[in-house]
Amino acid sequence: MLSRAARPALRAGGAAVSSRVAAPSTATFATLREIEGRLKSIRNIEKITKTMKIVASTKLTRAQKSMRDSRTYGQSSNEVYESAETKPIEAEGKKKLVVVCSSDKGLCGGIHSGLSRFIRRTKAEENIDLVIIGEKCKQQLQRSNAESIVLSFAGAGKDIPTFAEAQAVADQIVQLSGDYSGIEIIYNKFINATSYEPTIIEAFSKEALLESPNFSAFEVDDEAVLGNLREYALANSLFWALSEGHACEISARRNAMDNASKNAGEMIGKYQILYNRTRQAAITGELVEIITGAIASEDM
Amino acid sequence: MTFAWKAAGITYNRYLAVASRVVRRSLKDEKRLQADRRGEQDLRFAKWQNGKQGEVKNVGEANAAAMVQAANAPAS
Repeated sequence: MLSRAARPALRAGGAAVSSRVAAPSTATFATLREIEGRLKSIRNIEKITKTMKIVASTKLTRAQKSMRDSRTYGQSSNEVYESAETKPIEAEGKKKLVVVCSSDKGLCGGIHSGLSRFIRRTKAEENIDLVIIGEKCKQQLQRSNAESIVLSFAGAGKDIPTFAEAQAVADQIVQLSGDYSGIEIIYNKFINATSYEPTIIEAFSKEALLESPNFSAFEVDDEAVLGNLREYALANSLFWALSEGHACEISARRNAMDNASKNAGEMIGKYQILYNRTRQAAITGELVEIITGAIASEDM
Repeated sequence: MTFAWKAAGITYNRYLAVASRVVRRSLKDEKRLQADRRGEQDLRFAKWQNGKQGEVKNVGEANAAAMVQAANAPAS
């Protein structure tokens, strides 16, 4: 009963409001609403980017720790090649295998496109096959180098890369049927929190190690051991590249989200001022009308 | 010198993975939970041919299948 009774009053009130506002300037009222809506959506975006930044910041410490740990893996396994003075074999007509370490997720600045561009730039003329880890680089390289892709992996880099992941990838690469002169792993090298650089790690083939000048420094009982070493070294290098790439990605995401939050904050400030001004203008306009009306009726 | 695991078609990496899994499982509970997380992998992969992506498969299963195949090949 009450609601029905109240309704006409409400309608009348609503009509009064709308007619009062609509009469002076429909434009200001509409923009006021619009500005309010936009402010709200920017605030929501800011909330999201801020949260993502916080998440990335907390992940960053862990990622950097695992990156430092994984460097030891890669470097100690490279020690063998360094003391053997291994050089990549310059084989004519043989393909090189290039492993690209990116990840599945975006929203982290130019990390993935940096890798893709590096490959397009440096490997345009060479005869290579691509193994791609991560959806993002796959999508980008699919457009330009689809012919040379032989394997693609997804699901890596959701969390800190594990050695088991690197091993699984290495196993798949070892099983590839093609005859390759060498394997290059391309990843983002972590220089500091704001800069990264696509870098190559060489993973040598068994023949390259056999032909290295200082190979006699090692005492090898059985050549089968070298195959194992190669597989293991590949896993080590992959683990290193994945971890370092992961750390870069997280830190890039933190920066990107930091910038996004900052931009959103700026926009909020601008829109807030615009909103206040427009509101003030509308109120002033209404006041002027009321006063003029009052004075006019007084005179009569 | 041939290794028993090599004869069974297992790669060195797989051999290491199995060995490390055994070590992890023999840890005490509270340490094991942490260590188990390091042994997880959930990769999927696809083979490409002539610029077309093939079927998406689970890496762990595919690796296991390849090992079985490699083990059967010299025997038959």
